[in-house]
Amino acid sequence: MSNLLASLVSSAATLEAYGRVLETAQNNVSNASTPGYAKQRLELYALPFDPDGGVTGGVRAGKLVSSRSEYTEQAVRQQTSGLGYQQQLVDNLTAIQANFDISGNQGIPQALNNLLKSFSAWGATPDNVSARQSVIQRATDMASAFQQAAHDVSARSADAQQQIVQTVDQVNQLVGEIQGYNHIAMQGAKNDAGLNARMHAALEELSSLVDVDAAFQTDGTVSLMLNGETPLLLEEKQYQLSASLTRPQDPPPVNVNGPALMRILGSDGSDITSKTTGAQLGALLKLRNQILPSVMGDGAQAGSLNVMAKQFADRVNALLTSGNITNGPPAEAGVPLFSYDTSDATAVAGSLAVDPSLQPEQLAAISPGPPSVSNGVPLALAALANPVQAADKIGGLSYSQFFGQMAGNVGSELNDAKNNLDVQQSLLSQAKDLRQQYQGVSLDEEAIILMQFQRAYQATSKFLTVLDQLTETAINILR
Amino acid sequence: MTASGLVEQLASTRQQLDFAGSLLLKPSPEALDECSTILEATGRQLAQWQPEFAREAGNAAAMEEAWRLRRSFQRTSRLLQGAADFHFNWLRARGAITGGYTGTGDSAPLQHGSRICLEG
Repeated sequence: MSNLLASLVSSAATLEAYGRVLETAQNNVSNASTPGYAKQRLELYALPFDPDGGVTGGVRAGKLVSSRSEYTEQAVRQQTSGLGYQQQLVDNLTAIQANFDISGNQGIPQALNNLLKSFSAWGATPDNVSARQSVIQRATDMASAFQQAAHDVSARSADAQQQIVQTVDQVNQLVGEIQGYNHIAMQGAKNDAGLNARMHAALEELSSLVDVDAAFQTDGTVSLMLNGETPLLLEEKQYQLSASLTRPQDPPPVNVNGPALMRILGSDGSDITSKTTGAQLGALLKLRNQILPSVMGDGAQAGSLNVMAKQFADRVNALLTSGNITNGPPAEAGVPLFSYDTSDATAVAGSLAVDPSLQPEQLAAISPGPPSVSNGVPLALAALANPVQAADKIGGLSYSQFFGQMAGNVGSELNDAKNNLDVQQSLLSQAKDLRQQYQGVSLDEEAIILMQFQRAYQATSKFLTVLDQLTETAINILR
Repeated sequence: MTASGLVEQLASTRQQLDFAGSLLLKPSPEALDECSTILEATGRQLAQWQPEFAREAGNAAAMEEAWRLRRSFQRTSRLLQGAADFHFNWLRARGAITGGYTGTGDSAPLQHGSRICLEG
């Protein structure tokens, strides 16, 4: 009788254990869509079974075990950072590219084309007041186009600056949120699956903003390092980031009034800008500190837009002032067409202007020679369209070609970013699949998969090497 | 092969490469084996068409398609690299976890996962 009772007790305990297994499965199903949740399983232990000794066996419920693998979580976060970087670049470069239309129907290319045509028309009728008036009008349009481009690029730079400040604020806010989770974990909730899910969801969001390494501790807290070396969170202590403007002094700036750069500071005030290269913040810094300054200038460079504006204005002015309005006597020299702020090499495009009081008769058409040519100056100006002399070129190119190259650089960056974005989306999808594959897999099964993968990879990678050469050869032959 | 034929063949090869890339989104050893077969066939075709490329030098449409093919290849290549980085880093980490480090400081090689079960 006592054995029967023992068996009944054992069966009841077994049923209770399986009841907990069902509850665990039910909880996994309920949380299937919870951000950051990883399924759990209940460990079961067989109890001793010895009928002769009256030991009735059965099963006992053990502890709950999470199927989460921090290695796979970090791999997903790494690809999330990569996606954040490419997405941010595509978004901002798309906006910037709108200012570099090379179709010739608007902006600087159109204004340049119209001005060069007006020089040519003036050359055909050098004394015609209307032709001269047209030159002044087209030059004014050209100056406005440069001013507009400079203003637009500056606005994009200001946008990027604001985005950097906002991103840093978001990072601090998210790290603060995770700090709160660490606090809860330290109060004894280290095995709380819900808390763990919230931590991981916040970490994934954080990784799209910055490159972050997360190390989970045995007490359930997580330590966060930016780019692997700058602390963001250790236990309950948060280390805040900040963003500010800077004018690097080493080497001493060439343009003391040039646009300042953005820098990121760690909580101890150390400059970590150069190490902040990944995720959205890395992309914004690249735009704000590298791509845009190459166009609009900074302390170290004038920027291609200003270089073009200055060289074009200087060349036109030099040709006009070398000519004569009348041969006299006394001969009356021409006056310059363009003016700009000479105190700041980074402000040329933004300040390029034509004196509104300039009169058509002040434009010098006569090239003094000898021999003197009545339309020598407008002809020399019209030659800027298809330059032969080195003095009429900029960097060995015509002005239209130079602008095309500038626009091409932005377009090329955008094109690369778009291609990389497509690949990065696939890489994130792959990392998420791998996370799924490895969840809940035993170490033994995992070892077998790893070895199979190693063998399969060796075979596949050989073909990729051959294909790399073959596709490159195809392009070279077709070129 | 005509110029348009070559462009079509290149497009078809690119589609095969795209398919190989899509297999790598779920990079199981089986997927890699299938991918390997496709890459081998793709390589053989490209090698076979080399004389055609020379005849179509300067053909803009063929050139454009060749660039698309190259981009597709680069995508596939990066996906393979992504999966390889994942697995090989984990292989090293697992080796270090289970076997420690060798005398030269490298992770110990991962022991084969086969098991022997004795019952009696």
